Amino acid sequence: MPAAPRTNRNRIILIMIIIVCVTVVTLYVRESDRGPLHRVQDFFLDMVSPVSSAFAKIFRPIKDGFVNLFHLPSLSKERADLQKEVAQLRTERIASREVVAENQELKELLKWQQTQAELETVGTDIIGQSPDNWQRLMIVSKGSSSGIKKYMGVATEEGLVGRIISVGSRSSVVQLITDSRSGVGARDQRSRETGIVEGRNEEVIRFVPMREDADVRPGDIIETSGLGGTVPPGIVIGRVSEVKKRSSGLARFVEVKPFVRFSKLDKVLVIITPEPESVILKEAQ
Amino acid sequence: MSRNRQLFLMVVIALAFVFQMSVLPQFKLLGVQPDLILVVAIVVAVQDGPIAGAVVGFAGGMLQDMVSPQVMGVSALTKTLAAFLAGVMKDVFMTYSILLPVLLVFFLTFFELLLNQGVLVVLGQEKLVPVKAGLLFAAALYNVLAVLVIYPLLRRFRFPDKEESLLLTRKA
Repeated sequence: MPAAPRTNRNRIILIMIIIVCVTVVTLYVRESDRGPLHRVQDFFLDMVSPVSSAFAKIFRPIKDGFVNLFHLPSLSKERADLQKEVAQLRTERIASREVVAENQELKELLKWQQTQAELETVGTDIIGQSPDNWQRLMIVSKGSSSGIKKYMGVATEEGLVGRIISVGSRSSVVQLITDSRSGVGARDQRSRETGIVEGRNEEVIRFVPMREDADVRPGDIIETSGLGGTVPPGIVIGRVSEVKKRSSGLARFVEVKPFVRFSKLDKVLVIITPEPESVILKEAQ
Repeated sequence: MSRNRQLFLMVVIALAFVFQMSVLPQFKLLGVQPDLILVVAIVVAVQDGPIAGAVVGFAGGMLQDMVSPQVMGVSALTKTLAAFLAGVMKDVFMTYSILLPVLLVFFLTFFELLLNQGVLVVLGQEKLVPVKAGLLFAAALYNVLAVLVIYPLLRRFRFPDKEESLLLTRKA
């Protein structure tokens, strides 16, 4: 029976790990956003963000180059030198295209920023994405040192992107409007019917109007209502693609296709609102 | 487990974490990416036993929790349990075929995700949303691809301790 003490030891190790996990989960859920475990998360996020940023910069051209090479017709071995040259030229071309695209994107952001003169914004780069498949998050390269606070809205010239849910000193986490935990006050631009836009971890989001018989039609534009105080009113979110009705004929589920193409985002603007967290807390009370 | 193997696994966890955070989000297929930390934990559980796998799952999951805005400790818990289960299954089936880790990774991907989402729903941190079978299936397949690379790689660096080396020499 030599295995018995070892089995007992193993059992104790497993039980200890589970106790540690449950304790950490309990403490995390019970503490405030400024508690020690939240601070540990913010600290590690700050530490990891430069690495993420570097890898994102390194791998973006490789990824683009790989995709382009995948579509190229195969070349013979005798022309290997020529192939190398083509690949090199292609990489250079991709790099220059990226500069042009970035320039264009910055111009559009600047133009949008000028039209939204009353909004104070901070421009930032996207340096990372959600490390797992079940959340729609992005990490941006600016944090509390640039005046960013939790619950501030994030947008581009295309429309609303999401809101800040975690802030480190030099980086922040953005919860996209497509994330299943996201909920933003919204309204129909035409009929002014208000409601909430909810994410579902899909490309399409859902607008839930306050009134069941709300006047919402396919093609309508949904914009932020400003209710909630964290995101200013009038920022476009998306276009109604489908209105699913119940048998009684009352509007129930309104599907909205966001204007923002999340997979192509490089830069975003964080909308600076005074004390967004206190607005949420007041509402919760 | 020899000290060299332990050091090797620490390096593997660190590398898997860096890859998971930085490289893999750039190479999503069908909107999903492999969960390298889960795959490494399951492979270690199969090769070194349930407790070794559980410890790797805990360490990797905790690292992931520290840089993710979700509730700290949830990934650590679910990855610990998934890896421990994998180790127990290995003890039950007693086979060294690569088919076992492949099947374990495939099914435990479903298990880990559902448990993770379930815990978050119970804690009130996540809405109860319908599970998308297609997304789960794609993630499980992607993890299976990863295990085909990671399993032989980790097996190559066994670093047997003195007793194991002696046994292997005698067998030879």
